[in-house]
Amino acid sequence: MTLTGMLFPLLRHLPEAPPSRTLAFALNLVRRRLWPDEDFGWLAGKRIRFEVADLDRGVTIGFSGIRFRGEAPPADVTFAASLADYWAIARRDADPDTLFFQRRLTIAGDTELGLQLKNLLDATDWGPLLALLPAPLRPATG
Amino acid sequence: MSAKPQLVCPAGSLPALKAAIDHGADTVYLGFRNATNARNFAGLNFGDAQIRDGVAYAHARGREVLVAINTYAQAGRVADWHRAIDQAADLGVDAVILADLGLLAYAHRTHPQLRLHLSVQGSATNADAINLAHECFGVRRAVLPRVLTLPQVEAVIGKTPVEIEVFGFGSLCVMAEGRCILSSYATGQSPNTHGVCSPAGFVRWEPQGKAMDARLAGILIDRYAEGEPAGYPTLCKGRFDVEGDTYYALEEPTSLNTLAVLPELIRIGVAAIKVEGRQRSPAYVTAVTRTLRAAIDAAGDARYSVRPAWLDTLAPLSEGHQQTLGAYNRPWR
Repeated sequence: MTLTGMLFPLLRHLPEAPPSRTLAFALNLVRRRLWPDEDFGWLAGKRIRFEVADLDRGVTIGFSGIRFRGEAPPADVTFAASLADYWAIARRDADPDTLFFQRRLTIAGDTELGLQLKNLLDATDWGPLLALLPAPLRPATG
Repeated sequence: MSAKPQLVCPAGSLPALKAAIDHGADTVYLGFRNATNARNFAGLNFGDAQIRDGVAYAHARGREVLVAINTYAQAGRVADWHRAIDQAADLGVDAVILADLGLLAYAHRTHPQLRLHLSVQGSATNADAINLAHECFGVRRAVLPRVLTLPQVEAVIGKTPVEIEVFGFGSLCVMAEGRCILSSYATGQSPNTHGVCSPAGFVRWEPQGKAMDARLAGILIDRYAEGEPAGYPTLCKGRFDVEGDTYYALEEPTSLNTLAVLPELIRIGVAAIKVEGRQRSPAYVTAVTRTLRAAIDAAGDARYSVRPAWLDTLAPLSEGHQQTLGAYNRPWR
């Protein structure tokens, strides 16, 4: 059994609020550095959920108009993918549309909101953040 | 042997532009964040500052940037399209890609030094139409709609002084380029008027257990069974009930892949080969650009053959998991 396999039964019973709040906290920390010109007006009052497909758990975040916040479902738009596929997207090793064609990434709810987020992530220069990661975790190209 | 064609790659964002240039694109094309281009999606495309950065990045490496202003100016809002042309000229791009005759006239008159390309949305499929655009507006390159066979492309090239650009890879759409108003039927918007086919605000993906429904403005356009590949939510690629049979009544989701005919495209004198996909991620742009670069560089060799590794890279990126040579090898005229 893999490490992830052993962790799954445990993860499935953990509350979602702490990781949701942690993600919101992290986004508030890096927001100005990664997205200096983005006001996130399109996200104000909306909730976005990222579900881990095999786990039936996820994180939900919202934007108050000023800061990101951890939230609870239901969300306006919900993405679902495996942890490995989320990681591949984040590293720009995988194209989200390709994963969508293959049914490995799903998007339910407000498609336009989801597309806006996807396109923001595609347009983000992760350089300032990736420079802080250990070399083996960095993508080949920033 | 004709000169090697330029590789023209898509960019929906600055990271995609850099990925294209880093992996071998000669030219990158992009659009503004509004209805003046045919990939007008939320969060996609370029502001002035990003175009300036992109042009600087490309020019520093000897590459070019084209701006697609390839929708049709709408009544009462023509100034928006004129402003886009003025901005592109001011930002120092290498050419603008236009479809609307009025915009071609405006650009030719207002910015005589600006290179003009005739967009695929201009729907010019014969040398007479292309030559007229050349004589009237000084058009220097035309992008051919994906409806011509290879002999037809060759015939056009033989009868025009205008450079000819053809599509080499990417999603195909129904064969009415520049004239398609199919999505207006469901949404009131179409690529040529609003710059978008199946606007995301009208699209809903609804999980149905392990299956998934795709709806456009409430109309069920497809239902994907568990594990069945999905496509873009466009009407032309939907499955419909026609006299008791449910099938792809217009066309199947599929991608164009011209690797097999690259030597032929080079021999007949195609000036540029274009990759579709400004809506795709930097990961897609990287993979496709790198592959097409290698293939075009190899295609001048008499021993050229399509390498399995290229197909392995491109196949998963393709919409609907199918690839075709499209009209290039059709026997019909």
